[in-house]
This record gives sequence, structure tokens and C-alpha cells, in this order.
Amino acid sequence: YSEIYLIKCSLFIIHVSVQVQQILRERFCERRLPDRPEGVEAQYKHLLELLRRTAIHGESNSVLIVGPRGAGKTMLLQCVLRDLQKEEKVQKNLLQVHLSGLLQTDDRTALKEITRQLHLENVVGDKVFGSFAENLAFLLEALKKGNRSSSCPVLFVLDEFDLFAHHKNQTLLYNLFDVSQSAQAPIAVVGVTCRLDVLELLEKRVKSRFSHRQIHLLSSLNFTQYLERVWTQLSLPDSFPDKKFAQEWNAGVKTLCEDKSVEEVLQRHFNSSKDFRSLHMLLMLCLSHVSVAKPTIKPADLLEASRMYFADATANMLHGLSILELCLVIAIKHLNDVYEGEPFNLQMVHNEFKKFLHRKSNSMYNFEQPVVMKAFEHLQQLELIRPVDGSTAKVQREYQLMRLTLDHSQIMEALQKYPQCPTDVKQWAMSAFG
Amino acid sequence: RMKYFTRMKIRRVYEWSGKPRSFNRRLKTYDYDSFAISVEGLSKIIINTGQHILIEGYDEDNPYVAKMKAVVQWFMRVSELPVNKLKLLGRDPHPQEIFYYEYRNCDNEVNVESILRPVKHLDSNDPFPDSSDKDTLYVKLSWDSKVFGVVNSTVMESPAEPAPASSPPSSTPRGPSRRVLPTPDHAIMQKASLGEVGCSSVGTPANVEAESLHSATKLSASKCLSAKRRNATARTPGVRKRLELSSECSHKDFKMQPLCRIREQQGFLYISNTKSPEVENEKSPMVTETPRSSKRKSAMLVSSRIKKQLNLLENHQDLNSSGEEEDEFVPSKNDLLSSSEEEGQDEDGPNIDDQVTAKKFRYVATGSRSSRSKQKSYSSARTQRRTPAKKISPGTPKTPRHATPSIPIRSLQTQQPANILEEARTRLHVSSVPESLPCREQEFQDIYSFVESKIIDNTGGCMYISGVPGTGKTATVHEVIRCLQHAADMDEIPSFHFIEINGMKMTDPHQAYVQILQKLTGQKATPDHAAVLLEKRFSNLAPRKETIVLLVDELDLLWTRKQNVMYNLFDWPTRRHARLVVLTIANTMDLPERILINRVASRLGLTRMSFQPYSFKQLQEIIMSRLNKLKAFEEDALQLASRKVAALSGDARRCLDICRRATEICEHSAADPSSAGLVGMSHVMEALNEMFSSAYITAIRCASTQEQLFLRAVIAEFRRLGLEEATFQQVFVQHQALCRIEGLRPIGVSEGLAVCQHLGACRLLLLEPSHLGVLQRIRLNVSQDDIFYALKAD
Repeated sequence: YSEIYLIKCSLFIIHVSVQVQQILRERFCERRLPDRPEGVEAQYKHLLELLRRTAIHGESNSVLIVGPRGAGKTMLLQCVLRDLQKEEKVQKNLLQVHLSGLLQTDDRTALKEITRQLHLENVVGDKVFGSFAENLAFLLEALKKGNRSSSCPVLFVLDEFDLFAHHKNQTLLYNLFDVSQSAQAPIAVVGVTCRLDVLELLEKRVKSRFSHRQIHLLSSLNFTQYLERVWTQLSLPDSFPDKKFAQEWNAGVKTLCEDKSVEEVLQRHFNSSKDFRSLHMLLMLCLSHVSVAKPTIKPADLLEASRMYFADATANMLHGLSILELCLVIAIKHLNDVYEGEPFNLQMVHNEFKKFLHRKSNSMYNFEQPVVMKAFEHLQQLELIRPVDGSTAKVQREYQLMRLTLDHSQIMEALQKYPQCPTDVKQWAMSAFG
Repeated sequence: RMKYFTRMKIRRVYEWSGKPRSFNRRLKTYDYDSFAISVEGLSKIIINTGQHILIEGYDEDNPYVAKMKAVVQWFMRVSELPVNKLKLLGRDPHPQEIFYYEYRNCDNEVNVESILRPVKHLDSNDPFPDSSDKDTLYVKLSWDSKVFGVVNSTVMESPAEPAPASSPPSSTPRGPSRRVLPTPDHAIMQKASLGEVGCSSVGTPANVEAESLHSATKLSASKCLSAKRRNATARTPGVRKRLELSSECSHKDFKMQPLCRIREQQGFLYISNTKSPEVENEKSPMVTETPRSSKRKSAMLVSSRIKKQLNLLENHQDLNSSGEEEDEFVPSKNDLLSSSEEEGQDEDGPNIDDQVTAKKFRYVATGSRSSRSKQKSYSSARTQRRTPAKKISPGTPKTPRHATPSIPIRSLQTQQPANILEEARTRLHVSSVPESLPCREQEFQDIYSFVESKIIDNTGGCMYISGVPGTGKTATVHEVIRCLQHAADMDEIPSFHFIEINGMKMTDPHQAYVQILQKLTGQKATPDHAAVLLEKRFSNLAPRKETIVLLVDELDLLWTRKQNVMYNLFDWPTRRHARLVVLTIANTMDLPERILINRVASRLGLTRMSFQPYSFKQLQEIIMSRLNKLKAFEEDALQLASRKVAALSGDARRCLDICRRATEICEHSAADPSSAGLVGMSHVMEALNEMFSSAYITAIRCASTQEQLFLRAVIAEFRRLGLEEATFQQVFVQHQALCRIEGLRPIGVSEGLAVCQHLGACRLLLLEPSHLGVLQRIRLNVSQDDIFYALKAD
């Protein structure tokens, strides 16, 4: 009986743990919108009102949502759209067209996409017929025929708005903004961009037609609020089926957030970046340590996650180098010190290496030139060194000028961790002069 | 059914009668053995193969005579014979006498539209009757352009019974086709006519030769008529029957032949005539030669009708296709040899191929001419073939051909503005067009009088209007046009046609032609073709009915390397009969001097006007006039908005947008939206801040600690280097030092790069591509003072 009970219990725990993973992962991967956007209430209200007026009054508008990466621009827009769709009056009265500057790389494809999403009459199935010129004329004609009171408002969402400004003549933007400023079909143009100087990209005629409405998402978040966000992000909702587990979990999260070392780690993250995408990445690393056997997040998990998060990928690559390659890197470092960052070539590096061998090495032997060359080429393949621009022309490989793409601190850090590094090599690296 | 309208005084309607006799697979044409001509007010005449017909020619009273076979067998009238050759006849020709024309080098395809009606025809053996029936013609002899000969009776097989002219003959079945006499002196004639080719002259009669090839009707738009010779010898008798109608045209006709589109829909045929206007001036003369066999000379006049019977076709092939097809004509030059060969092969087509799905038609036109004076003739022949333009395979979806551009209708009614602020917002929207534009009276007057004078004088001209964006250029022109339109409706000025194009609303400068043509005539064409058509239209001497006023907005975008679009736009108004007024709008005052080459700038002329940016008083007036006594703004608030905008750009759009935003802020700031007061200074101030203040400072203040440190490190490094550019590596050293000063843990390189990228994405920094890693160079996109200011206040 007790065995069956145990099995039942463990099954139940597995079930709960799966649920925890699911809920939190959805949050961290930004698959689920928050119930209310936090910290951007004013912007939320502004945008909601604006789009509602377009939908209900047929008022044309144009607006830009500007904010750094990970500030929640798309989240804000999605929340607004979700809440708009809940309203009876809006629901059937708003057509949406979503474009992205990364997908619609020119006006031709953008026009096709608009026509397709609007299901205009020159669309059959998923195909849009007609040439670029015809499509443009068709769309403009369609919008021109509409009027404020009878046509269905259209919402144009232009993600990565700044990329649309690079299209030829900015034809699409001109026409969208022109429609939004003339008595045609009501449209709302919402641009989403992270560039603060986006208005300077617009051509003067296009700029004049844009309403100059900008919604800035610049979070003036302080560390206490940040900690609160971490806490809310990690805690389980009240609607979680197993109340008891949820309570335990939330209590665990609370103690976690109050831990001194955790606070330190989070402070470091906060200092480095305020955006939530990087926070989510960190928490995701913690979450993956949660299992049936260990159904809580311990401070050590967060520390480990943070270590992984801040790990320097380039420095890590140095750990995989052979001793010869490492020696070459050290020789390059010394050359950089002597010549103050001037470019070097294989001959110089080899010379420097030979000087070292000559002076004090007992553990290393001189290598043939081809072997050294091979090691040098390997460094180039790893992009630890990179040829100086324009010198690739017709120079022999030995004399091709190169630059090191590593910082000295990275080399020293890697040396400390390099397994079984010969002591004389280490000393050579640390000595001030080659 | 086929409709065809000739440009004669009498309108004739041509249509196929009966079912197609056979189908020519290769050419996708149908062969019919008869067709009907109905003249308005008269009954229908059915013309069958084998019947004699009159064909329209130079001399309206003496139409050419020919016999319908598959092609046409020509006859000569007495009057068409050279006078000196009449001696050879040895008697006086009967006025109604015609001669079987044996010369092979003439065209035997006629244009249907040139067929007037059938005529009666009597056999050579009968004596000339005394009847004065002008509708009867007599064939006794043949004429091969040199000598008269006796008509081979097999050739001239006359109809069993001439049917009454006006009633359609009951299509009596006949034996297959008629043989055509071999031409004895063909080779000689060929030489002769070869020599003749160059010297075609006015009034040369055409030889049209009727040939019975495939049955049924093939109509084709006749284009062509370069002097092309048809080789008649390749004709095969018998089985092949075709009615080919040919028309003869002078060289000038070349392009002006009507183009026909035949469209088949649910078993019916429509031939619509898309004649170009030039055709109307031309006639397609037809000439026949008549063989000498009767001695009476008589004027054969207008309405003679000869009826002959035709061969009914053996096998009716019912080829009904479902589905709509549209074919286009592609002119092709075939001489008879090749075409008859093809036809011979085509004959086999239907038998071999199982099921024919599409009906296609061919319209063959040929022209011929011969020199009357020299008794030599050559024929020019060109057949125009319609080739199937599209084959619609069953799988592909149909292209929507006549899609109407429209946006779906909204399901719920728009709400009307509920309070004063909402009302004000609606009125302040840029799109709400006011009844009159304040502050542009002088400009309005100038443009109005310019256009009005051009319309009244029936002349053309150009005007160049410049001004920064948002100064009411387009709006003023539109208002001018509205007023002129009103005046035209009141009959105060002649009516005119207004066309608007916008350089920004087209994908390519050359699309301007397409858009102008489309708005002018509704035609669609490729840019090159449209340019040609417009050129023709504007240089045509025929006086236009009404003046065209063309507004070209955003002129600078029509710039091309050769500037031919602009050249044309400014050149057309200078044509004598163009009656085109071109109003051009662009932003820069010196555009003509800056980007236009001399010959274009010269044509643009010196009629220029520039719109100055609005002053604050004008902006205030504009807002007041829009609000129209609606009390929504405090006086000071309006003044603040307009002064601010006037100082910055003088853009009326900006001013309206600010005021609109201010109403929103006012509404939100009030606890209860319905009881919100007037828009005050503070609201406008806030709106101004939102729109004009740069976000950089806020962005720097909101950046994370490391980002702020990095900006400081950049400045420190710039100071050290004395340059405005540094590599990441250099800045990073400074950054590490700053971290230590600030008591922060120094960050790693990859973290530092992430911070740098983050700033670069916002464009606080300008960066090189990120794959360069620590080597990428960094520049600031904000002034150092701004950064200090932002960080100090922190």
C-alpha cells in the first residue's frame, strides 16, 4: 500500500514539476503576454486610446513606438491589441496588417504582403497578381475609394520601422502617411523601432506627413523594482492547481530573492542591462536546474546561471588551443605591447616566439616554419586574429598583416584556467617584456 | 457571333452563320462556310462560299467583283481594264460584263468589312440579256492581265439558281471546292510584278484572288500590306476550303488596319473592332478584273447583288469549348506558299488530335495592288495570324481580371464626436478639408488666373510651384481646380479635364506615362507604349475637345538620367494643339536650375511660384478657421502652438498635429473626460515637448549603470586621443578604469561588447559591424555636452 502511495506521490510530483516548468517557461520565452504591462501604463493608455479612436471614430493616426531592445515595445503593442479585440465595438471593425522590416525588405514584397493580408480582390488564394506598379496603384486606389465613415479601419504595424525608411524613395511610408493625413480610408500606422534617431531617417516630405507622435519606452526602473520583477516573474500564480506546492514554491522564491549573494548577482545584471529579455535568459538557466528531485531554485543555481551567462565565449575558445598556438597568441600579445597595437605578420610572431625559446624555454622545442604557419592559420580560422582590411591582396601569407581580436585581459584569464600550462610559458605571458 | 462595323455610311454587321464546318488545329481557327451581313434597316444577307460578292473599292459606284471561295476569286470590271487592251476584246464590252481574272499574283484574302454584298452572276454561255438588272453581272471571258481567254467552265461553275438578292439562300450543298485555273504565264507575271513592286501608285486596282481553302470563316484583322507576293500555285483544290477575306490597302494603311479581337464565350464569337482613329481616313480599295466574254459595257453600279451558292461543308465538327478565352492577334507575314502548306497540314489536324478544347479564330487579311496602267500587278499580302495568347491550364487559378480596388466596409457605424474636444479633434485632423484655404489667397488667385486664362485661350502652359512641405501647395491647387470645375459647370469657362499624378505614388518615373494615359483614356499600356500613345495624342493635329489640366506632384521624383519624362511633360504643352496645362509641384525653389538640363528647364518656362512657410499669424488663422468658432482652446495656447511651429518649420500639418495632441492630453488630464475644460498652455506645452524634445537625454538617463559608464568611457577616450573615434578595445580600457573608480566589479569583454551593442542599437553610439569584435570603431551620435548634462543631473 505504501509503495503504491509512494508511486502516486512521485507521479504527482512529476506532474506538478512539469506544470511549473510549463508556466515559467512560457513566461521566460515571452510566449504569454502579461495580464497588464507593468511600468508603462501611460504609454499603454495613450496607444489604446489612439487605436480605439481609429477603430471607433475612423480617425487616421500614425505613431512610433521607440525604445531600446528588450524594453517591451512589441509586448505593449500586443497587449493593446489583445485588449482592443476584447471590446465589442472594435472587434469586427479593425483590419490588421503586420509587416516587419526584416521580412519585407523592399516595397515590392511589402505591397504584396499588405494586399495579401487585406484580402483585396487581386488576391487569389495566397497569390497576389500584377506587377509592382499595378499593385501600388491598386492599393492606393482601394484606400482612396474608402472614406472615414464607411470603410473598415486598417491598422498597419511596421515592425523594425527604421528598415522601411531605407526602401527606395520611401514610397511605402510616404503613401501610408499620406493616406493617414488625407480623407481616405481610415488607417493607423504603428511603427516599432529601437532607433532613437528614426525621425532623421525620414525624408522631409514623409516626415511632414508623419504626425510626430512618438511613444517612448524608456524604463526608469530602479533596483528594488527590478528585484520585485524577478520575484513576480518566478512566483507561481494563484490559479496553480496544487495550492500547497505553489505556496512552498513562492516562499522559496522569496527567500531566494532575499539572499545576499543572489542580490549581488542580480545587482550585477541590473547594472549591466535593464532589459527583461536578458533577465529571462538568466532565469531560464536557473529553471532548467529544477527537477522532481530538487523542486526549488537555490541561490547556488542562480550563481551558476550567472556564471554561465557572463562567460566569455572568446576566452573560452583559448582553452582549446594547443600549446604552440597559445604561445603564438602570447607572442602576439607581447608584440602588441611593444608596437602599441600595430598589425603584425607571421614572421614577426615567429621571431618573437623564437626569442622566447632561445632565452628560457626548457619545456618547448622550436617548430618548423610550416608547423608554425599551420598553427597561425588555425588562429585565423578561429578568428582570434584577423587580416587587416585591404592587405589580403597579393601578399605572401607569411607577411600578411594581422590584428589580434582578443583583449589582454581575456588572454590572461584564459591562461589561468588553461589545463597543464607549462610554467615558463605562464611566466613569459606575465612578464612585462617578451 | 461576330460584329464588325465598317466606317461606311451604312453600318453593316457581319456574323458567322451556321456552325463551324471544321476546325483548324494548327492555326486554332474555325472554318465556316457562310456568314451573314446585315445592313441596318435591310434584311440579312447570307454569303456562302462560291457566291459572287462586291467588294468595296476606290470607286464607290463600281465595287470590285469577286467570288467567294475559301479565298476570293477576283473579277475585273470593264472599267478596270486598261483601255488599250480593250481592243483585244474585239467587241464592245457589256457594261455588266466582268472578266475572270486569272492573274495569280494578287491577293486572295479580303477583309470582311470590305465586302458589300453578293451579286448575281451569269454563266459565260448565256447571251447577254437585255434586262437592265444592274445586279447581274456576266462572265464570259477571263483576263490574265495580258490577253482575254475563254473561261474554263469548271472554274466558273455558276450557281444553280441565283437566289433573290435580299433573301438568304437556302444553303444548298455543293461539291467541295472549285478548282482554280492554273495560270499559264505565272512565272512571267511574277517577274513583271517583281519589277513593279516599287512603283505602286495611286489608284492601282488590287487583285484579289479568291481561293477555296479551308472552309469556314477566318477573319483576321488585316494589318500589313507591304508589297508581298502571294504564291498562288501552291493551292490545292478540293478538300480544303477556306474563306479568306482579304482587303487591299494602300501602304499608308499599313498600321491602320483594324485590329480585331475575337473573343469566344460560351460558343459565341464576338469580334470587337478596335480601330485606331486613323483608319477612318482610309479606304480599302478592292479591284477585280473581269474576264472578257461579254461585249456589253455598262456601268455596273451600286447595289447589284450576285448570289452564288456555296459549298456546304462536309463535316461539321462541333467543337464547343467551355471556358473563356481571349486571343490576341499577332501579325505574321506569310506568303501563300507557306500558309497553304500549313493549311494542308492543318487539314489533318482535327482527325489526328482527339479533343479540341479551345476555339480560336483566325482573321486573315491581305492586301493586294496592281498597277493598272502598266498592266502589271503585284500583290501584297500579309496574313495576320492570331496566335493563342494564353492557354489556360485547368490547374492554375484564374487571374482576377477586373478586380475592383476596395477596402471592406465596416460593420459598425462610426461614432460621432461626443464632446467639444472630440469635435475639435475631428476638425483639426489634417484630412478634414476646409471649405476655403485661409492665408493663400494671393497664390490661389495667381494659379487660378493662370489656369483659367489657358483654358479660355485654348492654349497650354507650364507652371512650377515650390515650397517646403506642409505649406498648402497641393491643397491650393486642388482648391483652384475645384473652383474652376465649378465655373465650368456654370458654363462660365469651357470644360476641362483634370488629371493628377504624384511622383511618390509610382514605382518608377516612366509609370507617369501609364498613369496619365490611364486617367485620360482608361487604357492600360506599358510605359513605352503609353509614351508613344500620349505623344501621338498631344501632337495630333486634330483639335482636342477640352483642355487637360495635369497636376504633377513631387516632380523631383520623376527625374531620370536622360530626363525624358520631364522633357515630355514640359514639351507637350508647347505643341500647337495639345491644349495641355501642366502644374508641377516640388519642394525646392531652384529645382529647375539644380537638376534639370537646359532643354528641360527651358521648356518649363519661368512661370514660377513659391509658397513661403506660414508665419505664426497665418498658422493661428488656419487653426481658428478650422475650429470655426468652436471654443476648445485658450487664446494663449493657440498662439504658443503656432509660434513654436512657425519658428521651427512653418509646417501647417505639424501645427494641427500639436493642437490635436493637446486636446488629447487635456482630455486625459481631466478626471472626467466630459467635463474637461479648454485646452490650456500646459497641455500645448506637453504636446510640444512630446513631439519636439529629443529622446536622447531621457534615454541616457534611463540607461543601465554600465551603459552610462561606457558612454563616459567613450568621452574619456576621445579626450585622450583627441579624436572623435576610438576602437572598442581602447574604450574598454577606460571603462575598466572607470569601473574601479566607481567601485564596481570590472566587466568582461563579452559583457562590455553587449553593452556597446545595446547602445549602438539605440543609435546613441555609431558602430561598425559587430563581427569585428574588439576592433570595431565607435563614434558618438549625441553631443558630449548632452551626455554630461544627462549624467550630471542624475
